[in-house]
Amino acid sequence: MVEAQDIPTATTSIVADGQPDSKTRRYDRQLRLWAATGQSALENAHILVISGSATSTSILKNLVLPGVGKFTILDHANVTPEDAGNNFFLEGSSSIGKSRAEEAVRLLGELNDGVVGIADTSNVEELLEKDTSYFTSFTIVIAHNLEPKLLETLATLLWSDDSFPPLVTVRSAGFLAEFFVQFHEHTVVESHSETAPSLRIDKAFPALLDYSLSLDFSAMDPTDHTHIPYVIILVRALEDWKKAHDGKAPQTYHEKKTFKAAVLDLKVKFDEENFDEAESQAYRCWTETGVPSEIATLFQDPRLSSLTPTSPPFFHLLSALQKFTLEHPYTLPLTSTLPDMKASTTSYIHLQKLYKARAEEEKERFKTLLAVPIDDSVVDSFVKNAHALKVLRGRKWGTLDADHSLLINALASSPKQTAIHLSLSALSALTVKQSGDISVEALTAEVRSLLPPSSELPEEFSDAVGEVARAPTADLPNTAALLGGLIAQEVIKVITKQYVPISSYCTIDLVDTWTGVI
Amino acid sequence: MGSQFTDWQGRYYHIDQVLDKPGPRTDPAFLAGDGVKDFLRNQAKILVIGAGGLGCEILANLALTGFKDIHVIDMDTIDISNLNRQFLFRTKDVGKPKATVAAEFIMKRVPGVKVTPYFGKIQDKDDDYYLQFNLVICGLDSVEARRWMNATLVNLVDPENPESLKPLIDGGTEGFKGQARVILPTITSCYECSLDMLNKPTAFPICTIANTPRLPEHCIEWASVLEWPRVKGDKKLDTDDPEHIGWLYTAASARAKEFNIEGVTWSLTQGVVKNIIPAIASTNAIISGKSRTLETTESVDNTHPAAACCNEAFKIATSSAAYLNNYFMLIGTDGVYSYTFEHEKRDDCPVCGGESLELSISSEFTVEQLIELLVEKQDIQIKKPSLSTPTTQIYLQAPPQLEEATRPNLTKKVSELVPPEGEVTVTASTLPFNLSLRVTYT
Repeated sequence: MVEAQDIPTATTSIVADGQPDSKTRRYDRQLRLWAATGQSALENAHILVISGSATSTSILKNLVLPGVGKFTILDHANVTPEDAGNNFFLEGSSSIGKSRAEEAVRLLGELNDGVVGIADTSNVEELLEKDTSYFTSFTIVIAHNLEPKLLETLATLLWSDDSFPPLVTVRSAGFLAEFFVQFHEHTVVESHSETAPSLRIDKAFPALLDYSLSLDFSAMDPTDHTHIPYVIILVRALEDWKKAHDGKAPQTYHEKKTFKAAVLDLKVKFDEENFDEAESQAYRCWTETGVPSEIATLFQDPRLSSLTPTSPPFFHLLSALQKFTLEHPYTLPLTSTLPDMKASTTSYIHLQKLYKARAEEEKERFKTLLAVPIDDSVVDSFVKNAHALKVLRGRKWGTLDADHSLLINALASSPKQTAIHLSLSALSALTVKQSGDISVEALTAEVRSLLPPSSELPEEFSDAVGEVARAPTADLPNTAALLGGLIAQEVIKVITKQYVPISSYCTIDLVDTWTGVI
Repeated sequence: MGSQFTDWQGRYYHIDQVLDKPGPRTDPAFLAGDGVKDFLRNQAKILVIGAGGLGCEILANLALTGFKDIHVIDMDTIDISNLNRQFLFRTKDVGKPKATVAAEFIMKRVPGVKVTPYFGKIQDKDDDYYLQFNLVICGLDSVEARRWMNATLVNLVDPENPESLKPLIDGGTEGFKGQARVILPTITSCYECSLDMLNKPTAFPICTIANTPRLPEHCIEWASVLEWPRVKGDKKLDTDDPEHIGWLYTAASARAKEFNIEGVTWSLTQGVVKNIIPAIASTNAIISGKSRTLETTESVDNTHPAAACCNEAFKIATSSAAYLNNYFMLIGTDGVYSYTFEHEKRDDCPVCGGESLELSISSEFTVEQLIELLVEKQDIQIKKPSLSTPTTQIYLQAPPQLEEATRPNLTKKVSELVPPEGEVTVTASTLPFNLSLRVTYT
């Protein structure tokens, strides 16, 4: 397989009018979403999918196309006429009777030469009995409509050690479906949050403050005056204000209004957009830059109090971050990303340099707080994303159904979602108990057996259970395709450790067209 | 059609479960069983617009759910950067028409399905062509093409003929976000009604690009908007041509170096000129003077909107379940979040509303200022509008003789040319209909 090449490397190594290599061109669009680091994580992953159903191949299609390293389909069944009718990765009637895993792997493999596909025709039940290490060797395991006893064994196995792979469980019947991601802990640095880090106008660092005080606005050439960046205008206006107000920023509504008016009064011509920008960004002067509450919460994480040299680097970084915030100016490290603003090239570039230099200094200070050595590129990324870090803690599959109080809460807070979940739980329980028609009554009785006696079922329950009884074994192509898109997306988030995956059940209703988490 | 030769026993086992029985929310008018299957498999004719990221998915899903007479229109050829998601295409297909390759692939993989490709523009086809379909699904990345398709289907509606109402299902995607909606022309809100929901296209003021570049994006815009026409004259910039991108990259890099700006890369150059990156970090909300808006957005596609679109098409064609009313949005960056809602029809929608759009301007406004206002209005989104009243040509962008003849009007006040409450007709080559404005003065 060709080594992953990141975009900067690809673009700086080319001659003036050359172009990136064919692999970078092929993956151009997705590299804009998860960059070379994400791509390399994807290319090092090996995914196990249990069953070659239409839903399973839909999920895999969306992982093979972006270039997952390897995938295995575990399925001992042969293609039935029914399978051949709803699965795009079987070749119609000519696939009937052949191994479903082999046919699906062959046709999925055509999507991407860089991906290795393995068809395993072993029996999942036998493997679960004899060779549990088989399952723990993958990066992530996905199971579609696996019978409850086997799913319970698999989920218990993968939950038994926190180094074992995450498990994605998927159930679907007709227009309804749900999936769940089982993992112990998932940390995210690159969450791709849309919140921008603070520019620290309220706590201007010395170089920024000195620079803004060194400028004499009133003596400036009119063109230069129109190009003072709003950051400088605000730092200066705030400093002047504080001098006249006991060192305090504007606090009351009236003070804020007065401050904004004073900023606009600095204009020498009515059309100076930089001062308009400063006025609209004035809130930055009285919004105190501190540690965002979501990040402060992470400092309470039990992992931090029991840190050892072998703890995951993320928690060493988090611990250093906490120490950093305990010192002046009691903020997260500065990032050098400066938004665009009305300014001349030189004034903007100068400001950018001030931010870069300060961010570099703070990063060096941050590094001295680290208890273990960590790669510079990892530290860079952590510091840059410090305002949007995430720590997710998951649950074992089946926890919800085994706990009356959780179920009662779920029914109260997400009735229609829980109605789908319970109907699908009942369906899988019932499928192993009986053959033939699945009735609404039998499903309802099964749901009742999960709930404490005399619990009320929500209004929406009849809609869900009726739909399940209508099409209990239908793996509809559209439902499969929707699940394929959603689940591949979650799997990519888990593997790349970018963006934020779900940590609960996601339920899907394609009658009224909605999704909802429990 | 000879479906009996390809429909093996059990082929529709999965689909038939929802066609043989109604569900709790199924319309009582649903004809379970053979009737609905016959309509779906032997009579329904469906049109897919676009054979790109969404289009490939749509075609595969429609074929598997049992639609057998599918038509597809796409004017593009296959590029290597399509292969990571447009799964009906292979490396050997690069350079071939998307519609043709997609149609052949589907017919080979799903026996008995007829897919008729058209390699060309939707505007090449007339009303009679569109009238033959039961349903239209759009999987496009162009606002302009969607507006045209939407306006065409709204205009097709003849109240005397229920068959003339063609449901339009529209899918859209960008990175981890996607949406699907159902439009019943003249009955529900249409594409035009929701134009103001679009992200405002990234626009860089020309003065920044020309005089005060700050970001690598500004240098790239300078290379493509100012430097290319200056050096290359009338030669058209082809953003799919790697040599052209290479030229821009070199020019932008040199300019960035001159201004001490870091960060011009090949990838960013391509992203900016093809508008692949939806927006840049910018607080520069105030955009004044002449600005250039980018016209196409080529995005990173996801597959779930296509699945949702096909599911709506299946439900509408079969009545097996209620269909979406009328808008479904899904965002997957932070968990899975979706929102289903009814988008309201706009009474003053220029396509389906019937009422003309009210516009209140200062009596001092010049024609040129009015044109600038129209270009920036988010709910209209036009470039280069021409204006006229029932009696006067106010300003016409083309042909050159008329442009020259009407140019002196640009500096005149609108109030000198249009009476209060007067009607102004706005036309533009990018606008598939005439927009009628009622002007009042303040």
